[in-house]
Amino acid sequence: MPYKCVHCSKLYEDGSEQVLKGCDGCGRKFFFYIRKDQVDKIRENEELDVELDAVEKKQIEQDVREISGFEDEEVPVFLDFESVKVIRPGKYAVDLGNLFATNKPRVYKLEDGKYIIDLSTIKISERQT
Amino acid sequence: MFKLLKKFSARIFGGLFRKKDNLKIGFYGPPNAGKTSLANKICKDWTGEDIGTVSNVPHETRNVQIKEKVEIKYKGKTLMFKLIDTPGIATKIDYENFMKFGLKKKKAKKRAKEATQGIIEAIQWLDDMDAVIIVLDSTQNPYSQVNITIIGNLVARKIPILIAANKIDLKKSDVKKIESAFPEYEVVGISAKEGKNIDEFYESLFKLSKKI
Repeated sequence: MPYKCVHCSKLYEDGSEQVLKGCDGCGRKFFFYIRKDQVDKIRENEELDVELDAVEKKQIEQDVREISGFEDEEVPVFLDFESVKVIRPGKYAVDLGNLFATNKPRVYKLEDGKYIIDLSTIKISERQT
Repeated sequence: MFKLLKKFSARIFGGLFRKKDNLKIGFYGPPNAGKTSLANKICKDWTGEDIGTVSNVPHETRNVQIKEKVEIKYKGKTLMFKLIDTPGIATKIDYENFMKFGLKKKKAKKRAKEATQGIIEAIQWLDDMDAVIIVLDSTQNPYSQVNITIIGNLVARKIPILIAANKIDLKKSDVKKIESAFPEYEVVGISAKEGKNIDEFYESLFKLSKKI
């Protein structure tokens, strides 16, 4: 079974020598077992929380502007759900549930705390109901 | 008097059938299921022209494609509709997957951006549809988030559905699995590429048009 360092959350495959020698990240020898399917889930989430450099952030903002059709530089902030999440340039996660919902606006997440909200999609749904 | 009657009946029947003449039938489904291949097969059979290009690389269709006035004649019946082929719907679009097919990084990233835009466009069009043909790859597991979300949303919008289980020419094809995944809907096994079972598909399409 794989291991996870209790202190710094670093993951190790079954039989890794770090379990005996100490964690690469923090040097501690305190681990807990985790199931294989949990490892996949953790890795997936790690992928969603990558650090982006300034160039990548700029690129993402540019891509999202093109996707959403917003040429205006003003960026509205907030909302606690996202329809389209840009993980890094060229990598997207689409929340179909949100996109299909006619009563919710489309929200594009650029990075933590920075969003574009397509208000025109609310107007459409209001007209339909 | 006769002229008046003729005018009256034309107005009544014209009104009755007007909607049926302007039917909009959309092709929806996950990427690489063969939506454009099937749309091309229909367009080629009945209009003599293709609607779009097909490719092994997923997300080849990244814009909604429309073919006006497709007229199908089958067993003495005629069906006229607007065929709308949509980009494949997915939850994750990763440019690195396109690079596995030989695309350069810059082109792969551009394709990913356009594919994401295409998904939004496809979903926006959904409310305009009178009926939808869901094209699924019968060699793939039908119990996916994408399939269930698309079908669930069509049912919620009361849009009639026909499921085309494509790629029956392939060994791994399992139409029965799709039938058991979605037992409430008509499933027709086809091969858009080889034209297999296409007559049965047209028959199902007529049945679908009656549900509108």
